[in-house]
Amino acid sequence: MTAIIEALNLSRWYGNVLGISEVNLEIQPGITALLGPNGAGKSTFMKIITGQLKPNIGEVRILGEKVWNNRHIFRRLGFCPEVDAFYEELSGFEFLFFLLSLYGFTTAESRKKAELALELVELTEVKDRQIRSYSRGMRQRIKIAQAIAHNPEIIILDEPLNGLDPLSKRRIIKLIKEFKGEGKTIVVSSHILPEVEALTSEIVLIHQGKILARGDIYFIRELIDSHPHMIRIKSPHFRQLAKILAGEDYILNISFKPQENVVIFETHHRDRFFNRLNELILGSLVTIDEITSPDDNLQAVFDYLVGK
Amino acid sequence: MRQEIWRVFSFYFFLRKKSPKTKAFFLLSWAAVLLALVIRVYNLTGNWTESGQVIFQNILMSFFLQFLIVILALFYGTSVVTEELDNKTLPYLSSRPLARAAIVIGKYLAYLTLTTLMLISAALLSYFILSLDRDFRLIDLWAGFRYSLVLTLGLAAYLSFFTFLGTWLKKPMMVGLAFGFGWESVIQYFPGSTQKLSIAHYLKSLLPQYTTSSGKLGFLFIRLEPSRPLVAAAVLFLIVIFFLILAALIFTYKEYLFED
Repeated sequence: MTAIIEALNLSRWYGNVLGISEVNLEIQPGITALLGPNGAGKSTFMKIITGQLKPNIGEVRILGEKVWNNRHIFRRLGFCPEVDAFYEELSGFEFLFFLLSLYGFTTAESRKKAELALELVELTEVKDRQIRSYSRGMRQRIKIAQAIAHNPEIIILDEPLNGLDPLSKRRIIKLIKEFKGEGKTIVVSSHILPEVEALTSEIVLIHQGKILARGDIYFIRELIDSHPHMIRIKSPHFRQLAKILAGEDYILNISFKPQENVVIFETHHRDRFFNRLNELILGSLVTIDEITSPDDNLQAVFDYLVGK
Repeated sequence: MRQEIWRVFSFYFFLRKKSPKTKAFFLLSWAAVLLALVIRVYNLTGNWTESGQVIFQNILMSFFLQFLIVILALFYGTSVVTEELDNKTLPYLSSRPLARAAIVIGKYLAYLTLTTLMLISAALLSYFILSLDRDFRLIDLWAGFRYSLVLTLGLAAYLSFFTFLGTWLKKPMMVGLAFGFGWESVIQYFPGSTQKLSIAHYLKSLLPQYTTSSGKLGFLFIRLEPSRPLVAAAVLFLIVIFFLILAALIFTYKEYLFED
């Protein structure tokens, strides 16, 4: 299948700071998620593929055309930037209407498309309110609306689920999936794995400006699952819990914080660990006050994957 | 490209016409109207002997020409690009099917229209307040329109220059202030052709001359050695075109980064 977006050997620095390095990527129709911790280079990549930034080395092509200073490509592309920035004095409707009019749509067309986009992100009721009075979730949704209002074939969404409440997240995820159903190409960035899992199975892992891995969600999950997990349990029976689990073959290490009634397990098989823990809780063998996972974040996984 | 410029113009004219900045500058412009009203009342009571025309010329030189058009052009011109960077709204423009040059020119024209409306409404009203009396002739009406034209041309030239500064420099305000109120004022005290390196020189060349002085303290006075009106008008037009093209070129090829 022909790639819609092609990045060839892209590198970009900000002075001495590396943005992205030697990124080669082909993106096909459907949803592709860029997953990486903050500062990984996701936004730099998105800014380059939307013509906001120039690469220092390499080139990017969308639908076979170069992007930088090629305004015609933007009829077919919608971009939702990460920054929470607006023309605050405009209402939600005016914001969409004027941005649509920049495409050259007639007043009637712009009005119709703005109304439709507002409907899609469920902001019709507040369309006449100034953006400055919108909640964080509404601002995020109106930002997504401006990227989709002209019905582009390619939609680039930088951290679109940031700041959304669970219900709004579900709506936006549903909307993005509908776009996929229409044959569009959608690129989404996120630093939260469950969000990405809910959106797509096609993931690009990006870290320290480099593409670390690319594959479907199961491959990524496997990578992540092979990483030893730390699980911190606070319990009045923390010693007893350690004693029971010490013999299990998936436990790699156990440490204690007796002053806090805490035991920390290191395991390379999180699912088996939690199955056994559930059994112990249900069998009333131990009571648990708190379970946390100190390194259960993407940064830790990435650090592990790059061998830090 | 013309249509793209028009789209940008329409958007920014709408956006800025109700902004607090525009309201503040509108009030500032109308300070001249208030001053004209006070003077006229004073004049009607017989306490002022100068003619309205002469008083207006003084206001024109000291307030409109040396202060208002510079300050309006400085604040609106430098903001053409910097406001998009400071408010981080540039991606909304640069991800639309618009030539980058059209963004600069469209915004320039929108801001020129807004500031011209402020300037000319205040200038004409003050002129008529001060000059309308029984001796008012048709030629005085023409003089009012001539002043307005010169002010508009001056505003367009300064705005073009400050738009260029805004696209070129990261922090254009300080350089703009130094140019507008430093260089432009000081250079006029220099005799000879040095003063031709200022925009104000060509504007003053298009207006009636009234500031001449000689004697021991002559060096304290502005020594305008005017250019011919046609030359002055042509140079001002050239300044508008040259700096606008330069601004459009810089904006087209320069990459702008947000401060984060």
